[in-house]
Amino acid sequence: MAEKGKLEPVADFREQAILWPKGHTYEDFEVGMVFRHHWGRTLNEGDNSLFTTLTLHFNPLYFNEPYAKAHGHPGVVVNPLLVFNTVFGMTVEDLSEGGGPFLGVDAMTYHRPVHVGDTVYAHSEVVGKRTSARFPGFGIVTWHTKGLNQDGEMVIDYRRANLVRTRDE
Amino acid sequence: MTTLRTSELTGNDNYFEDFRPGAVFRHARGKTVEAIDNVQITNLVMNTAEGHFNEDAMRKQGGIFDRRVCFGGVSIALVVGLAAQDTAENALAELGMDKIRLKEPVFHGDTLYACSQVLAVEDGEREDAGVVTFHHWGLNQDDKVVFEGERRVLIKRRSHWADN
Repeated sequence: MAEKGKLEPVADFREQAILWPKGHTYEDFEVGMVFRHHWGRTLNEGDNSLFTTLTLHFNPLYFNEPYAKAHGHPGVVVNPLLVFNTVFGMTVEDLSEGGGPFLGVDAMTYHRPVHVGDTVYAHSEVVGKRTSARFPGFGIVTWHTKGLNQDGEMVIDYRRANLVRTRDE
Repeated sequence: MTTLRTSELTGNDNYFEDFRPGAVFRHARGKTVEAIDNVQITNLVMNTAEGHFNEDAMRKQGGIFDRRVCFGGVSIALVVGLAAQDTAENALAELGMDKIRLKEPVFHGDTLYACSQVLAVEDGEREDAGVVTFHHWGLNQDDKVVFEGERRVLIKRRSHWADN
């Protein structure tokens, strides 16, 4: 309901709004570049139970505390696939948000268990980049990503290849 | 306090001794992938790529896909999950994965199934468990392979754990 002579408020702010951009493009990556990714994530019981049950991952180490303790753990173990997904998730804005689907993961190793209450962080290094005639407008970038816990110990590492959009598409 | 008998809580057909190299299994259950799986897990793990959770942008952008696509990490976890009761229920630890390839996109409403082959069985560092290497396939409702990859798992030996 704009008054006569006044700018329609919606039109006004939409005209002035500048996109606050996110992510990187293919040209931003150079082999050897290192990213220390944002946020970190404390993995709590709810995260772990939800993820494990939604994915039907029926190993009681991830949802039965007495069972996990009977196997020498201080408490419930965080499902390693949740550790992978969380570390991966925190890398996306820096690495692949401006991109296409990810193509593959190689040499993924779980180095030590993560327990409920542990916090994970993600670091990545660019290990390769190339263009591909199959995917015009995109390049393929490969990274080595490490997931670290609150004590700086590596809990997971893997290599990932992804399509990343080029700037002048 | 009652004593916990761990062997009562898990199956008796999926100890280390049960896996023979070359054996191929089809896992019993499939799962239809819903937004509650893909969007919830994508957001839970703070994957910021909106192609997994912004349907409007996907319809308007004219990109590779015209609707939200399942995050590959979720597809991997769902396929491993479908194989988990048979290949992870008696696991002491997941050791790693390799050669993971996502070959077809997964969309909301697609149904995933899992098959596995035993590639290798080896002694572990501890005598009560051994290492099994699996090749897993994830199939959709049209029998197309959407995912494949290898997975190494440390699995309990029946000889040491069946009476615990």
